[in-house]
Order: sequence, then structure tokens, then C-alpha cells
Amino acid sequence: MSTQRVLPQSKETLLQSYNKRLKDDIRSILDNFTEIIKTAKVEDETQVSRATQGEQDHYEMHVRAANIVRAGESLMKLVSDLKQFLILNDFPSVNEAISQRNQQLRTLQEECDKKLTALRDEIAIDLYELEEEYYSSSYSLWDGADLPLCEAFHRRDSCASPGTSTGTSADGMEDIAGPVSQESTPGNLNGHSTNAAEHP
Amino acid sequence: MANDRLRALEDVEKEIAVILQCAGNIILELSKEKHNASLLDRQLAQFTSAVNRVESELSSQIRYLTQVATGQPHEGSTYSARKDCQMALNRAEYARIKLGELGRTCEVLLDPQT
Repeated sequence: MSTQRVLPQSKETLLQSYNKRLKDDIRSILDNFTEIIKTAKVEDETQVSRATQGEQDHYEMHVRAANIVRAGESLMKLVSDLKQFLILNDFPSVNEAISQRNQQLRTLQEECDKKLTALRDEIAIDLYELEEEYYSSSYSLWDGADLPLCEAFHRRDSCASPGTSTGTSADGMEDIAGPVSQESTPGNLNGHSTNAAEHP
Repeated sequence: MANDRLRALEDVEKEIAVILQCAGNIILELSKEKHNASLLDRQLAQFTSAVNRVESELSSQIRYLTQVATGQPHEGSTYSARKDCQMALNRAEYARIKLGELGRTCEVLLDPQT
């Protein structure tokens, strides 16, 4: 009986073994149960004494009941093996499970990135105002290496409309990353020219 | 789809327990001096139907696997989607940490007592 549990090489042999196990276990349950019911019948004529016959029937019923339980356990093991085989080899359902999981993960990733992008846009707006305020104040320590966000926008606007004046200080012209004063924002001119004057 | 088949197999496991339960109840009832015939009939009907259901369900599962199984290993994976999602969550976590630091810096600067 144990040799039937050795794993066969091919899937056909494996599935045939599953079929055989199923048939054997169901047959075992039904036969043993039928025999128990037959043994329960009280017979008047016995070859041995009634006590001996009773003991024999008692022992036989015990063994048959144990056979029924063993067959039930074997069926549970068969169901467990079938579940395992299904998980590993049922490609249509595995493909569907993979595509569902991929879809869920992609949705989560897109939602995350969408919220991050919205957050970035909001913070960029606030940062623009903050930088304008900071770089136009006298507390700024800007050295001209990094272009502030507000200046980047100013430069972009001036490139888009070349008719406007592009600078009022020579320092600003020489320094590539220097500030670009705009007639449209006269409030910044004082601060930027002050900064330009502070450069060596 | 996969869950339906696995759920069906779990129902089969419950049916096997019902088979053993009914067999035990029938023999218990027969051991009494006075049998309850209606209970015996009910239990026997339940036993027979459970055995038939288990056999038919397991046979159909084995037939389906015979048609579907190839013997080759499945090489699909969700690794790339998981990695992309993990990176997105890392980006969000990093942004949260940086905003937290910014918030604490602003609180420190605005609070004159610290």
C-alpha cells in the first residue's frame, strides 16, 4: 500500500494514481460499513459458542471501523494532494491570479504616483512664493550658483517674450546664473539688484 | 476561478467528515435496543448522498486536472509589478519623512522659546 504513495514520474501516472486512490478509499468505506451492518445481525445458529461469536464479531467490527477511519484519512490526504496539484499545475487559474495581482499592484502604484504628483504641484506653488519672498529679502545668502525657482520661471517668461528688458545690472549679465530682473515684477528688482551688488 | 476549485475541495473535506459522522451515528443507533427508524433512514440517506458527492466531485477535479496539467513548471511572476509598487510606496514614505522634517524645522523656527 505504501508503494502507491511514491511520487510517479509523469503527470498521467500521478493522476491515475489519484483516481485509483479515490476508488479504493470509497470502496473500502462502503464495503467495511456494509460488513459492519451485516455482522450486527444476530444469528441463532453459530459454529462456536455465542460468547466466542460475540467476541469475534466485536473484534471484526473494531477492525472494520478502523478501516473506515483509515479510508477517510486517506481521502483527506488525497484532497490535500489534489489542492497542491491544482495550485501548481492549473495554469488558467494561476494566470488569472497573476494578472489580477498585477492589476491590483499597478492600480496601487498609479494611485500613489498620482497623489505624489499632486503633492509635488502644490508644494511647487508654495515653494515659488516662499523663494520669491526669501530671495527678495535682505537675509538671503544666495550665491548665484543655484537658480531659485522663481528666477527659473522669470527667465522662462523672459525667453518667451524677448521684447522685455532682460537685465539692469552688468553683474547680472556676466553671471550666467545671475538674476534676471523683470519690468513686470518691479517689486523684485530692488532685492535682486541689492544681491547683485553684493557679489564680488 | 482558482478559489472556486479550492473552495469546492474544502467542501469535499467537510463531506468526508459528514460520511464518517453518519456512519458512526448509524452504528450507534443500531447498538440501542430500540431503534429510531426515521433517524436511521435520514442518516443512511445522508451517508449515501455524501459518499456520492465526494466521489463525483473528486472525479471531476481529477478529470479537469488531466485536461489542464502540462507537467511543466509555471514561470509567471508578479515580481515586476510588486517591485514597482514597492518603489512607489518607498517614494511616498520618503516624501512623508521629508515633509515631516520640514514641518518640525518650521515649528522650531516659529516657536521662540526653543
